[in-house]
Amino acid sequence: MLCELITNNTHNNNIALYKCYNVNKVFYRKAAFSHWGNKVIENENKGYEWFYHDSETLIEMRLRKKYFYELDIPQFKGRKFSSESIITGNEETIEKIIDFYKSRWSTSDIFAIHGDLALCNFVIDDKNIKLVDWEHFHYSDKEYYGYDIINMLFILIYHESKRTFSLKKRNKDFIKKCYIQLVEGADSSNKILEKPFQNAKEYLLKFKDRFLINSNIYDKFVLSGSPLSVLEHFDSIVTR
Amino acid sequence: MSAIKNSYTNLSSAVGLGLVGLDEKDIAVDYGCMLFDSFVYVSRLCKRIVGINPSYEKLKTLQNQIVKEDVKNYDLMNANYNEQHFNEVFDCVIINSFLEQLHIEIKHNKSIFFDSMIWPKKKDDSSGEIRIDFFETVYNGLRPGGKLYLSYANKLRISILFQLSMLEPMSFLFSYNLRKGMGFVTFVKKIYLLSYYLLSQKGLEKLLKVNGFTDIEKYAVFPDHKYPLKIIPLSKLDECSFEPVQYISREGSLRRISAGVKRRVDRLIFKNFKLFGLSPSFIITAKKAS
Repeated sequence: MLCELITNNTHNNNIALYKCYNVNKVFYRKAAFSHWGNKVIENENKGYEWFYHDSETLIEMRLRKKYFYELDIPQFKGRKFSSESIITGNEETIEKIIDFYKSRWSTSDIFAIHGDLALCNFVIDDKNIKLVDWEHFHYSDKEYYGYDIINMLFILIYHESKRTFSLKKRNKDFIKKCYIQLVEGADSSNKILEKPFQNAKEYLLKFKDRFLINSNIYDKFVLSGSPLSVLEHFDSIVTR
Repeated sequence: MSAIKNSYTNLSSAVGLGLVGLDEKDIAVDYGCMLFDSFVYVSRLCKRIVGINPSYEKLKTLQNQIVKEDVKNYDLMNANYNEQHFNEVFDCVIINSFLEQLHIEIKHNKSIFFDSMIWPKKKDDSSGEIRIDFFETVYNGLRPGGKLYLSYANKLRISILFQLSMLEPMSFLFSYNLRKGMGFVTFVKKIYLLSYYLLSQKGLEKLLKVNGFTDIEKYAVFPDHKYPLKIIPLSKLDECSFEPVQYISREGSLRRISAGVKRRVDRLIFKNFKLFGLSPSFIITAKKAS
């Protein structure tokens, strides 16, 4: 079996990601290089179990608990996205993801947070939406419904602004549309959606231990390092 | 307290060994013990590891570090490489920083790797095929189907070639009176063979084949074989996507700019022109024929 090393020790996670070329199939392997890495891989496996519990995908997952843990993940077929994806050109996909989130997350008995929901962690085809990279998965209270989508929207805003130096009116209108789409049907006790960006940052900083991060949280999540004034600005755009 | 600290030691720099597929029943040997994390990583995943190095001082330093990591399933041996020392056969042979080790040997004018070890396979062999005692030792010490892992920095090829060119004429002049049969042509040929077989990609592959290895795979390694962040199998270039690694550049804007330039140059060389022969480091894996 031939392997390609895709990433190693990103954000000090003590994990390597290989793409493995077996005789008749290609799959991905996450391998730990410390006991911290073991913890993260075990957590990621829990995330996959939560998300794919009623799917055949789970059969193809394999967690091997040797001295250092390894997790084999099947290669999903479909459209993939860059880690620097922007809003422009991806509007339809983003709306599709929000719809998917609403149906998938609201039907689950136990509420959970992906922790690093971003366009680059989706593989989408006509029939299926697959979600990968569950390293920061954790169980949470239903009151924090919407955190993952707000985090994803903020990453998109970040890259859009970085590329075009400012957010266009149609981008702002689109974010507002996404927010309205997300809010529909949300519980009145929700602790995120009143001031979505500020509250999402607050959640991230308050419960950072749940995210299993082994480096500076400000390096890992753009939301955590964003000034209050910026978050207030985007909150006002979506809630006004 | 120390046990907790040790169990969290990050061995991510040993990521290249993930290509080999180590097994908990394996017994491995590490020639040179050049990379400490690799040694510890193999000890964690295999039944036992044997470290071998001709320098007593190096082994002593290594042992002190190993004790701190609470590694118990190891043996260290102070010996040269070109002799068969073991009664047992190994499942895996690891040679990290192969050219660096060769470089040190040449510098100290020692004869662990190559002195009197390269010669045509048969006396009248004109094809230039050679064998090296060291690789024969490695081969004989492996069980059939056993794995070989070899890593090296690309840039050392040039300096080694230069050193060889300097060393060989000196040894020729020194030994001229003693070795009647040795002529100018012989040592020129010797330099050629050394540089071809040890320093060129193709030559090294051929050398491994001649010495009985099969399933030879070559990998381009970025930014360095001592701490790989990206490893690409050269036989799967069509299926791999190359994105330059992120060079760490926290200190100063100049360094950040230079890291950015390096990324752009890498993208041009490797993504656009696919000149993987210029990769900063390489890993080679092979198997002993069953």
